[in-house]
Amino acid sequence: MTTVPRPQIAVVGSGPSGCYLAQAILRALPTAELTIFDRLVSPFGLVRYGVAADHQHTKAITRQFDRLFQGGGARFAGGIRIGDDVGLAALRDAFDAVILATGLPADRPLDVPGADLPGVVGAGAVTRALNAHPDAPTRLPALGGDVVLLGAGNVALDVLRFLVKDRSGYAESDVADEALAGYLAAPARRVVLVSRSAAAASKGDPQMLRELAALPRARYSVPDPAGPADPASPAGPADAGDRTAAARAAAVAALVDPDRGPFPGPEVELRFGAAPLRILGTERVTGVELDVAGERIVIPADAVISAIGFAGEPRDEVGRLIAETPPDPASGRLGAGLYRAGWAQRGPRGAIPENRASAKLVADELLADLASGALAVDGDRPGFAGLPPETRARAVDYEHWLVLDAHERSTAPADRVRRKLPDHDAMVGIARGDAAAPHPHP
Amino acid sequence: MNITILFGTESGNSELVAEDLGAELGAHHDDVEVRDLQSFDPSELSAERFYLVICSTHGEGDLPNTAIPFAEAFDAAPPELAGVRYAMFGLGDMFYEETYSQGSEHLDRRFAERGAVRVGEYGRHDASSWDLPSDAALAWLPGVLAAASVPA
Repeated sequence: MTTVPRPQIAVVGSGPSGCYLAQAILRALPTAELTIFDRLVSPFGLVRYGVAADHQHTKAITRQFDRLFQGGGARFAGGIRIGDDVGLAALRDAFDAVILATGLPADRPLDVPGADLPGVVGAGAVTRALNAHPDAPTRLPALGGDVVLLGAGNVALDVLRFLVKDRSGYAESDVADEALAGYLAAPARRVVLVSRSAAAASKGDPQMLRELAALPRARYSVPDPAGPADPASPAGPADAGDRTAAARAAAVAALVDPDRGPFPGPEVELRFGAAPLRILGTERVTGVELDVAGERIVIPADAVISAIGFAGEPRDEVGRLIAETPPDPASGRLGAGLYRAGWAQRGPRGAIPENRASAKLVADELLADLASGALAVDGDRPGFAGLPPETRARAVDYEHWLVLDAHERSTAPADRVRRKLPDHDAMVGIARGDAAAPHPHP
Repeated sequence: MNITILFGTESGNSELVAEDLGAELGAHHDDVEVRDLQSFDPSELSAERFYLVICSTHGEGDLPNTAIPFAEAFDAAPPELAGVRYAMFGLGDMFYEETYSQGSEHLDRRFAERGAVRVGEYGRHDASSWDLPSDAALAWLPGVLAAASVPA
């Protein structure tokens, strides 16, 4: 009697792409044994730590991913950094296939002079602090009265929303109150958002701009000609892209509408069609020089927040591999049995749902390699059981995470949905029911 | 009753709803299938089956990506849908008021224009609520089945 070998598959990273990928593989290959690793004790990566705390409706997608672990279809192995705690080669020995879905966790550096001056901060660092990410400091750096925000994509708009909101804007969120309170003690008085593109062609979703217009906070102006601008679509049926551009232009026009009313909060200038030339300052940031339609303009700044994309963080073997392999939206194959998915594959593009299609593509590649025999499954690979005993003992499983999840919900202040602990060791301790003596290496 | 559940999705929530409805219906009906609109040809629509259409909303009230090929094929060769009966369940987010649950309505219009008849309540799920989409759909299902059991 022959038995069908169960492929042992490792997914590195439990963010949306890793979870979508696991869903796609399990749907096509229900016999597969999946282990989803994460360096953190909590699953869901970017959904938990990258989506803004006041966008809980977006975070609700984790309830879809919970199914993966609840049904026993996939094992969660948290608190294990592949490429550091366990080498990639050891993982490839234990599993038939390994898929890297680690995302791009670092802010892409600004490539203008002065970018390394104190006072220049990445948007990802701000978002992580507000989400109580264990790698982020619990307080934000002091931003000062004049803040320049470089970029106009959704991440920049998340930061802009944070800069204009007061405390009441965080009801029913899981914001890190210590970081929030630090900012609200001395909030920005003036914010200048700098976008290389014209308003209609900028990267943010129109819904995000409409949300800003609907908030009774801040006063907006658009000083430059690239301004609220007509998308000027030619005659003919508008496609979805045209309609998105038109909606974006209309949303910006609504923001600067004189009838929108004088609201408390900072003065916000939206500078479209403007390119940063350099960051000014000697000891720390004092301003930003912009090129606006060939003219040089200096804007005073106490802090500069860059929201210009994300990059790999080459601090371990997996991080280096991802950072050094250029994005390829057409394929996730790094070799038979080794794949990458999500932002690690295609670059930091697209909102969460768009990574579902990309995860399916990579799952299909893996399935095609199994079908062709390029990826041979002989049933000999041990999977998770083949990892060193100390690694297995250290792994935080899904049941552990549920203990931490319940703790976060039960300790939340009255108008918060959860209170996240910013300390990874403490999180591990609580997850293991060992709050008295939290320790990551039992 | 022979039932086909069709889903159009961008983030996977509609697919999950479709699977959950399929599991629930499978316990009581012999012939239940769950199909991705992405791999379903409009010419397959038949008066012999009852359709549950589960569809989310993307972008500016647009169809989700997996439903677009279906809509394009539908427009290229509009099927004759007299006698076809269906129920519609739309997913959206009231956070985006103007475009809430509009994705499913693109399909609903197409079905109605070709003579299909929608039965039961138009189901909706709001992602800004804390209801699970599947719970909302499972609560919606009995009313739709009751309406569908009444001969046209």
